[in-house]
Amino acid sequence: MAIEKMVPLMLGGIRDTMYMTVVSTLFAYLLGFPLAILLVLTAPKGLRPHALVYRVLDAVVNIFRSIPFLILMILVIPLTRLIAGKAYGSTATIVPLVIAAAPYVARMIESSLLEVDPGVIEAAQSMGASIPAIILKVIIPEAKTSLIVGATISSGTILGYSAMSGAIGGGGLGQIAISYGYNRYQTDVLLVTVVLLVILMQIIQAIGMYISRKTDKRIRE
Amino acid sequence: MPLIELKHLTKTFKGKTQTVEALRDINLEINQGDIYGIIGMSGAGKSTLVRCINFLERPTSGSVIIDGKDLSTLSQKELRQLRQQVSMIFQHFNLLQQRDVRGNIAFAMEIAGKKKAEIDRRIDELLEIVGLTDRQHNYPSQLSGGQQQRVAIARALATNPKIILCDEATSALDPTTTTSILNLLREINRTLGITIVIITHEMSVVESICSHVAIIDDGALAEVGTVEQVFSQPKSKAAKKLIFRKAGADTGVMGDRMIRIVFEGTASNEPYIASLILECHVSVNIMYADTRDVGGKTFGQMILQLPEDHLQQDKIIYYLRNKGLRVEEVSSDGH
Repeated sequence: MAIEKMVPLMLGGIRDTMYMTVVSTLFAYLLGFPLAILLVLTAPKGLRPHALVYRVLDAVVNIFRSIPFLILMILVIPLTRLIAGKAYGSTATIVPLVIAAAPYVARMIESSLLEVDPGVIEAAQSMGASIPAIILKVIIPEAKTSLIVGATISSGTILGYSAMSGAIGGGGLGQIAISYGYNRYQTDVLLVTVVLLVILMQIIQAIGMYISRKTDKRIRE
Repeated sequence: MPLIELKHLTKTFKGKTQTVEALRDINLEINQGDIYGIIGMSGAGKSTLVRCINFLERPTSGSVIIDGKDLSTLSQKELRQLRQQVSMIFQHFNLLQQRDVRGNIAFAMEIAGKKKAEIDRRIDELLEIVGLTDRQHNYPSQLSGGQQQRVAIARALATNPKIILCDEATSALDPTTTTSILNLLREINRTLGITIVIITHEMSVVESICSHVAIIDDGALAEVGTVEQVFSQPKSKAAKKLIFRKAGADTGVMGDRMIRIVFEGTASNEPYIASLILECHVSVNIMYADTRDVGGKTFGQMILQLPEDHLQQDKIIYYLRNKGLRVEEVSSDGH
């Protein structure tokens, strides 16, 4: 493909991919964060153990995580139509992306929150801290570094999902790779999208790691 | 009225396959201003006991009464308010790793709903008390164990508590640091009148700082009293085991006549054995000795092998009794 056609195509692809990744990650966190906090609180050794709530949430998360993304996308097409008005394009892809990513994000956050030293939580309880105070002032701030690392990994995974969505009508670099590179045998386009996806992933990873290192107070100077 | 009262306290942990009786019928009274040691071997139930005092563990039965309030009758909110009066420090300090020294001390006051200006002023006072003013902007990972425990103590003092519970607070520290932390706790007890409960497995901690001691063994209290009482005349097997830890060992006592001298708080600067030898012109063989110095007084026992001569033997016993020491005959097996 000629360079003057390739550049605008790729710029559009990058824009759509970033749009899907960023918006989906945001929504996945909006759903996943409360879910993770509920899981941590109601767990058998949590601050408010509740067997029923814990088991139901745990099962729901596991079920959604075990459905392959491509199949999930097809399964939720009716819901996608309902929310986005159509089943193809970047905006529509956000719906299945969020549904697939939220349980994944919830597990990432859950494991970060569980890393917090139980002794510090006990100390807060011994001072008379309420459960909201323990969550907001102890668990989340203490887990901050791990949460940022988790967010980096999660948005990388969502970037990968968004590219996959190109197979059945999603937008962005994934769609370009499939419609030009696979359907029309334009290997140069395929290679450029792959290189761009690798660069995007590197950028996300570098930014995430930089922030997490910068904010961690456990490292001696 | 005691400040802390435990009545018929029991705690049972139910596992899937077995139930464990962690505490059995604990009765204890701790008065305002006491430094109360609770000592026991690991697994005796000390940690569970101290967590029952502030209801971090809810007792299975029995009551905990603090300052006249029965904790089981309090609502969650009232319990949280009471906990601001009953601070706790821990073996592993349990500081927030992502907050600096000031932030950690502020935390206790944020929980208590104090205003920013008041918090800042109080932190300055507390840093002065624990001697960490020059470290106030450091993070826990930049501090030594002793410094971290000082931060924890400042945090514990922040809400002006009546009681501080110490759960093995010096067990992760080296001997020198232990001494300085114990001195700080004693100072806090003296100047601020705060009652301190110390959970430990180390005799030396109880000796150097406590006024009273309770010995816990297998979930039950074996012996309770002032440190002087319990250390000079331990009655229970558990107490004897802790105090004369080596007394059961073979001391190599052979034949002849032997006596046991019991020190029950005599002045530790008087050299009894040396003056016995010098003044009576006799020789004795020290077969076994286990004495310790508690605040300038000697507690413990010593077993002496006496010379053949009966006259000399009587002279020695007379001399020691005259000095106010308890002297007992010992059979050759050491009892």
